[in-house]
Amino acid sequence: MSVEELTLAQSQELRRGTVVLACLALLREPQYGYALLETLNGAGVTVDGNTLYPLLRRLEKQGLLTSEWNTDESRPRKFYRVSPDGSLVFTGLVREWRDLVTSISRLTKENG
Amino acid sequence: MSTTTLTERYVHEVVRRLPADQRDDIAEELRATIADTIEARDPAALQAAEREVLSEMGDPIRYAARYTDRPLALIGPDLYPMYVRLLVVLLTSVLPVITIVFALMELADTHDAAAAVGAGISTVLTVGAQLIAVLTLAFAVAERVRNRDGALARTATWTLDDLPEVRQPDKGGVAAYAAVAWDALLIALIGWQHFARPYRTGGGEEIEVLDPALWSGWIWPVLVGLAGMLAVALARVAARGWTVPLAGLNAVTQAVFALPLAWILHRQMFLNPRFLADASSNGLTQEVYTGAAVIVLLVGASAAVKSFRAARR
Repeated sequence: MSVEELTLAQSQELRRGTVVLACLALLREPQYGYALLETLNGAGVTVDGNTLYPLLRRLEKQGLLTSEWNTDESRPRKFYRVSPDGSLVFTGLVREWRDLVTSISRLTKENG
Repeated sequence: MSTTTLTERYVHEVVRRLPADQRDDIAEELRATIADTIEARDPAALQAAEREVLSEMGDPIRYAARYTDRPLALIGPDLYPMYVRLLVVLLTSVLPVITIVFALMELADTHDAAAAVGAGISTVLTVGAQLIAVLTLAFAVAERVRNRDGALARTATWTLDDLPEVRQPDKGGVAAYAAVAWDALLIALIGWQHFARPYRTGGGEEIEVLDPALWSGWIWPVLVGLAGMLAVALARVAARGWTVPLAGLNAVTQAVFALPLAWILHRQMFLNPRFLADASSNGLTQEVYTGAAVIVLLVGASAAVKSFRAARR
């Protein structure tokens, strides 16, 4: 593996958990799968549909998201939004994220 | 092939692998998502876009697995080491023993060496395939049952008491397997030359190589010793090293084997006199026999000492 490939593989590892955080942030407003994917990718959180859609299901199963079918438009779509539990988890994750950013920037400054 | 059937076929392939109560819901969402994605690509060329989108989604089996967390491996990494270890033990110990027994039974029935070899080969193939198939099936089932209970069930009940002892790498592993094979081969050879009478004299008569008189006497402690050595060698493989009790047993079985054999050699009771007469080998003097007896004793003694030294380490 070249350095570029290694960097890519490691950064994918790094991004993995952030997709959940970004989903919980965005789904404070109800949204359906494809639109969420577009918003995420537009915001620079690159994620694959193959990963995102099953992830939404898992989060729903864990009780962090609730879902509702919207049949107002011609195409029925499943809208997800954050549950009360999901909001609490989101708050915890944001705190964790800030701590991580502080720690990592301190570490990279000292050793950089 | 119309465009609807392609998506329908893909959705069907995914949801039929999912639990029944989720199928309709996931299918409905999947259809909407695929349609959304296709439209965003190129509204002018919907058919090409559909092919593209479905290709990117990839193998439906993989896609369905993302929803279920079902293992995509027949035997997962947790069970794999145990599977391989058991497979090796079965194929190197149980299979040879069964094969030798079947070949000897064929020999006793037909007195035909070729038939016995044929029976041995077909036993290796059929029993070997059955051993592999049954073991693989058992582990595949175990993998799936375990996963249904949830992968966390095992880690939750794990305590420090479950921590295995650190095992030294099995240094003498290859030699131990060789000992198993060698002991089994010797037993088979002794039985074979007795039942198959492989030597043909100038007069066309089939005779044994070893003295037939041995079968009413001295061959039995030799065979018992060999069987004991085989059992000890198998136990040594299973234990991945010598222990003091095993080394003790090894010394006893080596003595049971080597002492009578040395006596037989020394008294020139080893080979069939008719075989000797026919082969007219004059080189086998008393010195050669006594030398062979001494070698047998030395090999046995050194094997016993080696196992004790390995056990002490």
